[in-house]
Amino acid sequence: MEPAILCQQVTKTYGSKDNPTLALRGVDLEVKAGELFMLVGPSGCGKTTLISVIAGILNRDGGDCRIFSQDLDAMDDGDRTTFRGQNVGFVFQAYNLIPTLTITENVSIPLVLHDVPRAEANERAREMLRQVGLGSKLDTLPTELSGGQQQRVAIARALVHNPRLIVCDEPTSALDHSTGAEIMELFRQEALKGGRTLVIVTHDARIFQYADRIGVMDDGRITRIVNSPSEL
Amino acid sequence: MYLIALKMLIGNKGKFFAMIFGVALTSLIITQQSSIFVGLMSRTVGFIFDTPLPDLWVMDPKVQFVDDIKPMQDTKLLQVRGVQGVEWAVPLYKGSIRARLANGTFQTCNVIGLDDSTLVGGPPTMAIGKVSDLRLADSVIVDEAAANGKLAKPGPTPQSPKTPLKVGDLLELNDNRAVVVGIARTTRTFQSQPVVYTTYSRAMRFAPRERKLLSFILAKVQPGQDFTTVARRINAQTGLAAYTGPQLKGLTIRYFMKNTGIPINFGIAVGLGFFVGVAIVGQTFYSFITDNMRYLGILKAMGAKNNVLFSMIVVQTFLVGALGSGIGMGIASLTSIISKNSELAFYMPWQIPVVTVLATTLITLLTTIFSLWKVIRLEPGIVFRG
Repeated sequence: MEPAILCQQVTKTYGSKDNPTLALRGVDLEVKAGELFMLVGPSGCGKTTLISVIAGILNRDGGDCRIFSQDLDAMDDGDRTTFRGQNVGFVFQAYNLIPTLTITENVSIPLVLHDVPRAEANERAREMLRQVGLGSKLDTLPTELSGGQQQRVAIARALVHNPRLIVCDEPTSALDHSTGAEIMELFRQEALKGGRTLVIVTHDARIFQYADRIGVMDDGRITRIVNSPSEL
Repeated sequence: MYLIALKMLIGNKGKFFAMIFGVALTSLIITQQSSIFVGLMSRTVGFIFDTPLPDLWVMDPKVQFVDDIKPMQDTKLLQVRGVQGVEWAVPLYKGSIRARLANGTFQTCNVIGLDDSTLVGGPPTMAIGKVSDLRLADSVIVDEAAANGKLAKPGPTPQSPKTPLKVGDLLELNDNRAVVVGIARTTRTFQSQPVVYTTYSRAMRFAPRERKLLSFILAKVQPGQDFTTVARRINAQTGLAAYTGPQLKGLTIRYFMKNTGIPINFGIAVGLGFFVGVAIVGQTFYSFITDNMRYLGILKAMGAKNNVLFSMIVVQTFLVGALGSGIGMGIASLTSIISKNSELAFYMPWQIPVVTVLATTLITLLTTIFSLWKVIRLEPGIVFRG
């Protein structure tokens, strides 16, 4: 079976030619479809850069990286944006919900961006919110919700258009232990449905147990990949 | 996405109202200052506007504008009447004469002396009385604004309200007795002096002694004759200048534009209004876009192409521009209604709102371009930054 993500010797450099900062120094990574893969490592080791490359929002400098067999760097900006919109969902540490829109409107955005009629988009968003346990708060604004509830909205937004890959940047770091555990349960229940792939960047050791595999990054490389937290 | 764009805009109430305030202020300043400028310019030709009957205004060729009186000899009237194509020609006196008020103070009046037999050039609208009452002895007609203001009779104490001048009241014009026989409604003039109509012969009596007193000759062109041709003949045969009403208006306005600081003063105000608008709206919208860069980045990451983000911004700026200019012009129009019949020279022809809309469109366009530039350079990677 074709891997969901296949990266070979991926490099990425920031800064000027005179003063370059090597963020990725030849990353090799393979993630299977339907897998929950976690990337862990110290701050500045290149985790966020790697998922940015994987998600198609940052161009690599060297190596090869294919997402569902597609080389995103070879696409023009419009095609890459379309690919991202159809195949990638995002969940962020700071939720990044638009504060002036209701949670239903926030969740409907990926659908509206793909020309789904507004009424249908809203209905599908409401259904998704019911699935993540927010059926009673459909018309509230994000700021009226707790952190855990806002992250549930963000997950609903990431899932509503049924992408094949979800990338998450520290999804539980801003949450307490029990809420973080709830969010991870939700990921396992909803996000992995239908062979969807999850890549989660995290520092939060409390959630390592939910991973199928864990990649340890250091200084711009994946130094090892383990199957359970006890091997770390 | 337009609805989402509008909700993003309106949801940030502070910035939304600041931007609308900026455009409204700009629109108000541009509309109001331009209208006052046009109003002032209109007042310079108010007298010509009130005298529509003659086809040609004949005067000394050195006259630069309608209030620049260079008196002619009375014999010039006969010469003009003798020019081929002139149906009739009548004299008109226009000059400043001091009126002595009941409390002993003086007020300079703009006295108009009309042809005794035809009364051509008389006031356009009578509020009280008839123009033909000027045939009564010592009679004068006073304009309504002056009757209620500058020529009104003072009360017994300085604090007491003035009593408006009414028919039958007496005036003293250059030591001559004058009886008010009518009150007229006239277009306000640039100098805002009281306008007093009387007959030509009586005006000669009121006016200070001078060798020449004929200010203008008002002429009617025979049917079928070309105004320009007749004007050229008058000039050739009498040495006088002859203008149509619109030509004299143009001459007067050009004089004021060229020889007074009015255009530059109002131009500066209008220009400042524009730049204030650019500064307020540009800065606020830029700050609004900066605040929303993270969300625009998320939209881009989720699949929004640049053209979608551009159209969202265009919708946002268009709404701000439309609301702001509407409010600004609305307030300006309200000023126009309130200031009607007041000292404020405010005249808003249709061209001014058009110019205002163009100016506010330009402001929003500049703001949009400025913001789009930021969006073009937007890296969706911003979404992963803390």
